[in-house]
Order: sequence, then structure tokens, then C-alpha cells
Amino acid sequence: MASVRFKNVDKWFGKTQVLHDINLDIKESEFVVLVGPSGCGKSTTLRLLAGLEDISAGDIYINDKIVNLLEPQHRNIAMVFQNYALYPHKNVQENIIFGLKRAKASRDLIESRLDKASKMLQLQEFLQRKPAQLSGGQRQRVAMGRAIVRDADVFLFDEPLSNLDAKLRNQMRYEIRRIHREYQTTSVYVTHDQVEAMTLGDRVVVMKDGYIEQVGTPMELYLQPKNIFVATFIGAPSMNILDATLYPEYIELEGQKLPLATNLVKTSVPSDGQKVKFGIRPDFFQDEQLISAGEALTTLPNVHIDIIEPLGYDRELNLKLGHQTLKARLDLRSTAREGDTINLCFDMRRAHIFDIETEKNLTI
Amino acid sequence: MNRKRSLLQNMLLTLAIVAVLFFCLFPFVQILSTSLKHQFDWGNPSLIPVKINLNAYKELLGFVQATEEQIPATVKKLLENPLITPEQREKILAKYRSTSDVFPFPRFFLNTFLLSASAASVSLALAVLGAYAFSRLRFGGRTIIQRSILFVYMVGGVLLMVPLYQMSVKVGLARTVWGSLLSLLLIYIIQTLPVSLYMLGNYFRTIPYSIEEAATTDGCSRLQSIFVIIIPLSVPMLVTVFVYCFIIAWNEFLFASVFLKQYHMFHTLPLALQSLFVSKNAIWDRIMAASMLTLIPVIVCFMFAMRNLSGGLAEGGVKE
Repeated sequence: MASVRFKNVDKWFGKTQVLHDINLDIKESEFVVLVGPSGCGKSTTLRLLAGLEDISAGDIYINDKIVNLLEPQHRNIAMVFQNYALYPHKNVQENIIFGLKRAKASRDLIESRLDKASKMLQLQEFLQRKPAQLSGGQRQRVAMGRAIVRDADVFLFDEPLSNLDAKLRNQMRYEIRRIHREYQTTSVYVTHDQVEAMTLGDRVVVMKDGYIEQVGTPMELYLQPKNIFVATFIGAPSMNILDATLYPEYIELEGQKLPLATNLVKTSVPSDGQKVKFGIRPDFFQDEQLISAGEALTTLPNVHIDIIEPLGYDRELNLKLGHQTLKARLDLRSTAREGDTINLCFDMRRAHIFDIETEKNLTI
Repeated sequence: MNRKRSLLQNMLLTLAIVAVLFFCLFPFVQILSTSLKHQFDWGNPSLIPVKINLNAYKELLGFVQATEEQIPATVKKLLENPLITPEQREKILAKYRSTSDVFPFPRFFLNTFLLSASAASVSLALAVLGAYAFSRLRFGGRTIIQRSILFVYMVGGVLLMVPLYQMSVKVGLARTVWGSLLSLLLIYIIQTLPVSLYMLGNYFRTIPYSIEEAATTDGCSRLQSIFVIIIPLSVPMLVTVFVYCFIIAWNEFLFASVFLKQYHMFHTLPLALQSLFVSKNAIWDRIMAASMLTLIPVIVCFMFAMRNLSGGLAEGGVKE
């Protein structure tokens, strides 16, 4: 177990700067997920920590020790690659114990670790097989086994589940969670899948264009996104962002005046007819017909239902409000039909107001 | 869309293939046939010997001592002539002596084998490191260096022969037999290195870099990862490159004829065969048997390379 720290880290590839002033503290045993769209620099950040790329400026610390100039083999890290990166000429057992053998571990230790890892990952019957004789999920488990048998300070995961199908991904997500609970090793996990980020991370780092946009727990990112990018990147379906006009006591949305909740009224925000973006998650809408009496909710009346997508566990409505489109995820009990209008209710305290220029959240 | 071939087209294609094969293989069959024929059979156009003669092979491989040729009575009478000087008598007698000292096949075979195997081994070792650098490392001038090395290959050996010999004379290597052998070894290495680098470099690029990265995070240095990952995964190509270098050195005549001309016992087989062709011992069955035996290592090498060219060693390591 170790702590990890990025201090003012920059990375340039030729004349292109791909990471800008990265500052991040990762505590011992913490599971941190780096998430963002393709090209945001999350994998590069991980590779800098692994020592597979040189940093251009700043410092990286593992256990308060600067590791900028240390080769990967001297950083005591274990990494799981997106494409598995197994040794194709070695069988599963040789793959798993490769790192231990390099470290000249005793035979007893190697055997006990191999036994534990192969049981945990259900690989006992495949130990003599070559990687080419395994399925994708089995190969990824071998890659995982190769990491966990080592007494590494930090586990690094570079999109390890992106090559698996949806069912296997869910299963492996569960395995990773279990492994972390068992070993408590500090872990850094890169993914572009916000569901993985939300379900795995103790904390999540959202990145965009080489910058860290926000660091927080999954629920902090979900409920209090710092800007429109984080608001729309985290959560599926993503947050509705609507054009609105802000006044001191209410917000005007397609001609409808919606009273503001107290948490949304900030004295620092000029609010006399200012054009803003209004954000509300589809999950926070409810069908007015299903509201129990006494709930203090705001109503958005007469929203036109364009398309309904039944997802089994709920119904996803694609709606039109004036010239704007939005989504709502409603309870299965809702009887709304395509072409109808619906009165949607929501808790105004869950809504966000974003600056139209800076896209920053004005309500936190 | 591919159109199906007609029967006539199929027959023409088969005929063409047979013709090409015949053209390629006939010389080898002719060599084998002649090597197995007795002297009386040499003029016979049939490829099948009237009676199999293995004497030439036995003699070359040292299974039997070459028999002393019987001196005809007329020659004996000639030798008794007092007007003949001892030198002249010696010259006449030499014609009827054993030829094993004139063409010591095992010795030439060993010379060639050691020289070719050394050149191929050194070339391969250098090519592994060089090709790795070209395929994996980022450094200034990489492309220029890579192209310059290939350029060496494009220049014919004849053009370089005189300057190379001059160089080796100037540095004193050509003065001794070991120096000459070393010069030849260096020339063979330089001759084979460009293609070895090219072949291995291209092969290394097909091995996913992430496997090496995994090895480094597992505790391997770069050099260790070459030995533990790259080399085991490149066995088919390493065998191919070794065979290529070995055959080039095995068949090389031009430079050997310049550097080893004066050192008869250090001749390589191509050089020795050429000497045999033009010597007074130029007996067809012996020449052809020697040629056949010279071909054997080349054929063995090819068969070995074919067995190892199964490929696909890197399969399964990464998700494509």
C-alpha cells in the first residue's frame, strides 16, 4: 500500500501539450478512477505513474518519494493493460508468477500466491493453457492474476474491461471490487465508462483535454458537478441542459416561470434577466399523476412526449419543451404515451444553474 | 468476382508450373545423376546410371582411401627413360597418386561450416540488438541510419572487393591467414547485416509493445525483456535470418577467392570446388559428388527453417 501524488505534472508529445498542471493526491488503499472521453489524457496520466512515459514537468511521488527518474521495474507497481498484454509463449501459470520469479521470490511464496490468486480468479483448471487457448474474460483474469500475486505498492488498471462484452464486464467489475476489498492496495483505474467510474471508485477524477475538471466521490460528481462537462459526462442518460433566463426569485424556461429553491439563490450571481443554462437530471423527474400529496415539488407543465423507450426497469421519455429537447426517466407505473403531453415534477433543490460563458456551476 | 478457370486454362497453368519446376530442378538432378555414374557412363544422356557408383562420395567423405591409380605400362616405360629429369618424373607420377590431399573435402567442409556459422551467429546477434533499436527506440537520425544500412546492401560486392582488400592489407589483416579469415568473417557479417536488420526489425514491429511494457512493470529491464520476451517470440524469424546469413556465407565465392587464395588448407567449399573444376583432378563424378555434398547443408537449413516458419507465436497475448 502506498500513497501517490501528482504535483504540477505536465506532459508534452513534441509540440503538443497533453497534460496541463495535474495535481492529485491519492491516499493509501484508495481506489481512484480517472475518467474522461478519448484523448483527455487519462491513460497518459496512468502511464506517467507507471514510468512508461517520461514526465515533461512536475513531480510524481509514490510514498513521498519522487519517482520521476525511476524505471518502471523499480517503482513496484503492477499494471493491467487494456489489451491484456499476456506473454503469449508462456502458459497461464508462468504468466501469473512471472513477476514473482523476476523478484526471485521463494518457491513456497510463489506457490501460495499462485494458489490464492488462481482460486480467487477461478483459473485453477486453465493454469497449463497458453493465452491463445483462453477466452477474452479468462485472459483478462490472467492479467489481473499477474498483478495481484505481486506485493505491489500500487495497482494500475488501463481500461481493463473495455474489450469485454457487457455481461462479462459486469462480472469483472465485481471481481475488481472484491480484489480491492481483499488486498486494500492503492489502485488507479482508467476508464471512459462512467458506470465503471461510479461503481468502482472511492473517488473519481474527471478529465478533459488534459485538464482535471473535478475530483470527488461518485455521488459528489453526480449531485454537485462543477461544470456542464462533468454534469453531462457523469450519469446516464446525461443531465438535461436547457437554455433559461435567471431572475432573482425564479428562472424562466420556455416562458414558464419556475420558483427557485433557496440553495440556488446566490447573491454573487447577477440575476436580473441573465441568460443561463438550467440543468436537471432525467432521473429526478416524476410523473405528476404519481406524486403523493405533501411533496414540495416544482411542476413543468405540458411537456410534449416525442418518443418513449421502455427499458424494462423504467421508461425513458424523449420530450420537447418549446424548441428544446430533454429526457426524463419515469417510473414504470407512468401511463404516459407518445404524442401526449405530461406534467413533470421535480425537486428544484436538485437542479443546477450554469454560466452560459464559463459553463461553471453557479449553484455550488 | 473471381471467374472459374476452364479445363484448358488449368492444363496450361499446370504445364507452366511443371516447366518452371523442371527448369529449376533439372541441374540438381543432373548433378546427382553424374555423381553416381561410372566413367564409362558419363556420355550416356540418361539420368539413371547404368550402375551406381558411390566411390566418389566414399572417397570425399573419407570412408575409403583413394586407390592408387595403376600406372599404365607405356607410362612406366616412359619413366625409365634416363632423359627425364626427377622433376618431370614427379609431375607424371603425381597424376596417378591419391587425390585426397588435393581435395580434402572434410577439411573444406569444416572451414566453410565454421566460417558460415560464425558469420551467421554474429550477424544474428548484432541484428537482434540493432533491429530492436530501430523498431522500438526513438532517437535522432533513426530513419537515416536505417536507410544508409540498406544502401550498403544495394552496392554490389564486386565494387567493394578492391577497397575492402586494400583496407585489410593496410591494417595488416591480410598478412596472416587468421587476419584474412577475420576480414572474410567481417565482410560476411556486413554483407548479411542489412537484410537481417530489415527482416528482424519488421518482425519485431509485429510484436505488441504492450507485452514488453507488461514485462517492465513486472520487473524486467529493457535488455531482460529482449531476452525474455522478444527473442522467444521471434524464434521463427531468428531461424530464418540465421539460415539466410548461413547460406549467403556458405555459397560466397568472390571474397573468399581474394582473401583465401594463397591459403589452400583454409579454402571454403565454393573456392575449393572451383579449384577442383580447373585442376588436373577434375573428374566428373568427384566434382558432382562434392557439389552435391556442398548442397546438403543448404537443403538441411531450408528444411529446418521451413519447420520453424509456423509463425503465430505472438498470438493470444493481446486483444487485436
